[in-house]
Amino acid sequence: MLRLLCTIIFALFVHAGNASAPFVKPVKAPLTLKMDTASVNVRHLDTAAITAHSKQPEFQYRDDIDTTPSWWDRFWRWFWNLFKPIKFGKHDMSPFLRALLYFLQYLLLAAGLAAVVFLVLKLMGIDMLGIFRRKSMSANLPFTESLENIHDINFDDEIERAVSQHNYRLAVRMLYLKCLKQLSDANLIKWQIDKTNSTYIDELTNADQRRLFRSLTLQFEYVWYGEFAIDGQTFKNINTVFQDFNKGIA
Amino acid sequence: MENENFENRTDLSKLSTAVSQIKYTLAQIIVGQQDSIDLLIAGILADGHILIEGVPGVAKTLTAKLIAKAIDARYSRIQFTPDLMPSDILGTSVFNPKSTEFEFKQGPVFGNIILIDEINRAPAKTQSALFEVMEERQVTIDGHTYKMQEPFTVLATQNPVEQEGTYRLPEAQLDRFLFKIEIKYPTLEEEIAIITRQHQQKTTDQLTHIQPVLSAGDIIALRQQVRSFHVEAKLLEFTAKIIHETRNHKSLFLGGSPRASLAMINAAKAIAAIKGRDFITPDDIIYVAAPVLRHRIMLTPDKEMEGVSPDDVVAQIIQKIEVPR
Repeated sequence: MLRLLCTIIFALFVHAGNASAPFVKPVKAPLTLKMDTASVNVRHLDTAAITAHSKQPEFQYRDDIDTTPSWWDRFWRWFWNLFKPIKFGKHDMSPFLRALLYFLQYLLLAAGLAAVVFLVLKLMGIDMLGIFRRKSMSANLPFTESLENIHDINFDDEIERAVSQHNYRLAVRMLYLKCLKQLSDANLIKWQIDKTNSTYIDELTNADQRRLFRSLTLQFEYVWYGEFAIDGQTFKNINTVFQDFNKGIA
Repeated sequence: MENENFENRTDLSKLSTAVSQIKYTLAQIIVGQQDSIDLLIAGILADGHILIEGVPGVAKTLTAKLIAKAIDARYSRIQFTPDLMPSDILGTSVFNPKSTEFEFKQGPVFGNIILIDEINRAPAKTQSALFEVMEERQVTIDGHTYKMQEPFTVLATQNPVEQEGTYRLPEAQLDRFLFKIEIKYPTLEEEIAIITRQHQQKTTDQLTHIQPVLSAGDIIALRQQVRSFHVEAKLLEFTAKIIHETRNHKSLFLGGSPRASLAMINAAKAIAAIKGRDFITPDDIIYVAAPVLRHRIMLTPDKEMEGVSPDDVVAQIIQKIEVPR
């Protein structure tokens, strides 16, 4: 109630204030028309250029152009028509399914393309999978021993050749390899490329044989690994010991 | 006489005597551990640092102390603890009020034979103090470089990293050790011998009557002799092939460094010397392969969880490589 009374008093006060000011009518300025007096430069079309352009085939707007598609266009039309049922589907198909089929279309296309590329590369003999595998770094070390198989070597010939060339070091090596072959043939040792000489010594069960073979191994190691100088007479001594041992095996 | 046709190019009689004397000295106290003792001697001869690992109570420190005692040279011992600082090892500059200058006070690393006990009790910050001195045999502090006196050998002991309060050593430091010797539990017979010997002993200090058998000068001379040993070219290739294979093996995360190749050849030479030869054979290389590589190579996490040991992988690698013959 108090609020209403205050509002009425305020309204009366404002009205009383306004009633005291005199009303003044606004005066408008007169309008004047401004004339454009600038000279106009009229431009004309270049008829020569129009003629030149109209002679170009791109501007020949004729209706009698042959619209029969080429075989390439026909192929692609046929190709894309294959996907039409997938692409458009039924009218009541959900947008999600439509998008999925659309994606599938390109997936099939990519898979087909990848298959063609793979086939071509395969025919060219390029190993595609090898590109993704980690290539192992191989040491280019000249391991001539790996080319040797003691069962394929004609030791007598090799020893004879080495002796004739005065290469007694090589001759001792051949003697030792021959000895290993004979032990292997007699099933006294099991020949394997990763075994050391001491392994072969340990494999021999006969104590005398083991002692003799240890001695031969020592001779071989001094000559081969130690690269000790060896003359004809020393070789003859070593050869005799080896021959005796080999006779014992047989 | 097994070898009547050839004689070593180098006179190894002094070396053989020294090796026999050290072995005899150690055998007075240590029971068994023949391979470990051979490797320790080989490490000394090859001018390398040696890491001895084993569970508590297998005489790691005793063995190291005995080796140090057998050599008449400046010996110092550092007990590694978690709060040890680099300056506690290397030394530090101290202000001298009389001369009003800073003077360098040498740390315990300045010696000939340094025994670092329980090396893996200190964290990596402290370990890094050893990098320069172990490889370059010098210490650089405050812009000054102090050269170590020859011979300089670090013998370190450690518990396996699975033990409480231990840290894994940095790879850079591990690579500076020539060998990691693993000391296993003694056999039953050896255990009985240990107890019997202890029971019959009158004094508690076992090391009092141990006399040095080699001087620092002897060690330097023997090292020079061993370094001059002959190595056939194909054995160098064989060593390189083993190290190279560690870098490509599927079970390994980290392979051997070129320092490992050098270490393997030097160690093989020392083993050849112990066996009385002045040239190396494939057996020598294979013998040192595991002690040289086991601390340098790092297994892949899956192999580590499977319980595969570095020694197993080294054995697999060697099996794949043809022995030059």
